Amino acid sequence: MKIQILKEIIKKKSSKENFAVLTNLINGNSEIFEFGKFLSKDFESSKKEIENYHYLKKNGVIDGTQIFIQNYIKPIEVIIVGAVHISQYLFDLFKNLDFEVKIIDPRKYFITTERFPNIEIINGWPDEILNKLQTNSNNALITLTHDPKIDDPALRHALKNKFFYIGALGSKKTHIKRCERLKEAGFNEEEIESIHGPIGIKLGGKSAPEIALSIVAQLVSETHKL
Amino acid sequence: MKKQLKRTVLEQANVWIESNQKVVLARVIHTWGSSPCPTGSSMIINEKGDFFGSVSGGCVESNVIAECLELIKNNNLFKQIKFKVSEENAWDVGLACGGEIKIFIEQINS
Repeated sequence: MKIQILKEIIKKKSSKENFAVLTNLINGNSEIFEFGKFLSKDFESSKKEIENYHYLKKNGVIDGTQIFIQNYIKPIEVIIVGAVHISQYLFDLFKNLDFEVKIIDPRKYFITTERFPNIEIINGWPDEILNKLQTNSNNALITLTHDPKIDDPALRHALKNKFFYIGALGSKKTHIKRCERLKEAGFNEEEIESIHGPIGIKLGGKSAPEIALSIVAQLVSETHKL
Repeated sequence: MKKQLKRTVLEQANVWIESNQKVVLARVIHTWGSSPCPTGSSMIINEKGDFFGSVSGGCVESNVIAECLELIKNNNLFKQIKFKVSEENAWDVGLACGGEIKIFIEQINS
């Protein structure tokens, strides 16, 4: 592989666009593939198969060829509402997994760079912030304040924009009330049931790092279901 | 939605290259049966034998490193290598889990 290809891959990874690296196993040549991109003669005869593998996000030697495709898929962007203690542990766990993380909190005294170094923190109301961000099914939402006036607008936004994972912290009782409010806001049963509430898989732990672990475990398991 | 783990292997390769070291990239291109690392897993090796990343969770790494050093020594650009468990090497190098993997190794060159 040429150094320039290696450098291009590193650069493209940070651009957050989906792409693939193709390698011709007969002559060792590699190049970067994106939908609509012109392919060199090492690969052009298999264009359709390459597009199909990339569409399916499938890595491997393409059937009937000597072309290896490795896909680089845009990471899931996790939006955490609530700059609380659990969020600090969540960030620690997420940083070794392939997720982008943002934390939103309207409470200035919670959302400080001292508490959250090296992470994108946004001070503001979740609905206002979320409307400015481009969000879609590549997003996940974790609400942690269990304050309806902070969490609910974020949950409504996530449901409307079809986030692939939505989880809300709070007891069973809190969650029942939350579901009632969302029903009143016009969401149907299926939508409301898609919210993971109380959030996380059952580990039994109650400490902040244990709750964070149970949330991350649930989110990772959901990404592998899709 | 397939998720990929953060790939820091290529960034490390770049660091080694910028300090004028020869680097070989090893990638899993095909797996059969139960092999521990999925297709696309990668590892890099420099001329000193330092390595970073993983292609099998520890089962065949030592052999891959030897192959990569050989590639540098003979100044070859790339090679495909295949590993599987067999009677004679089950206790030596091999995939204890009963899998087979094919690995593509290649020099990073200008």
